[in-house]
Amino acid sequence: MDGPGQARRLYYRVVYTILALAIVGLLAGLVTGWELLGTVVYCGGAWVGSGITFLAPKLTDVPLQDERDTELYNRASGLTLGVLFVLGLSVIPAIYVLEAAGRIEPPPEVIGAILLASGLFLLWGVAYGIVKRR
Amino acid sequence: MENDLPRRREAEGLSQGELAETLGVTRQTINAIERDRYDPSLELAFKLAAHFECHVEDIFDPKESID
Repeated sequence: MDGPGQARRLYYRVVYTILALAIVGLLAGLVTGWELLGTVVYCGGAWVGSGITFLAPKLTDVPLQDERDTELYNRASGLTLGVLFVLGLSVIPAIYVLEAAGRIEPPPEVIGAILLASGLFLLWGVAYGIVKRR
Repeated sequence: MENDLPRRREAEGLSQGELAETLGVTRQTINAIERDRYDPSLELAFKLAAHFECHVEDIFDPKESID
């Protein structure tokens, strides 16, 4: 009865190995000055890994993921968004007010992080609206 | 939610993996249900009941959740 278990382990090993190689490739490109090659390796790995996670469950009867996995992902995503939401609510308005008052001058990285968080929440809101209506 | 899944599964001589394959879920899910760490969906609960030829409430005890 090791068949499904082995297939599931193989699936996760392949996906995580590809993603790990993609990240290592990107970092190696940065360190060695071959940024373009590193970026190509990373993009290739990300696309192949994503493609496998999308296609593999459709091509096999083996339950690579089931309802418990989905619930775990949902809970982890909810927790992540909750933490980001609390941090965002408590920090972002204060940064805007202090910046408007000339008390602080946030570095571009902070502005970028705020925009990223805002975009993430916007995307979540759109996704929630779509899922709710389906 | 408490359940007597381990007893029923062992009475049939099934491993967690074998039961999982029969129901189309992973062995980890069956393990989590047996250890009261995961409450299955209605669909899976009915699949379990059908497999063991009993009612859902024969396997799962909702008393704790209702209280």
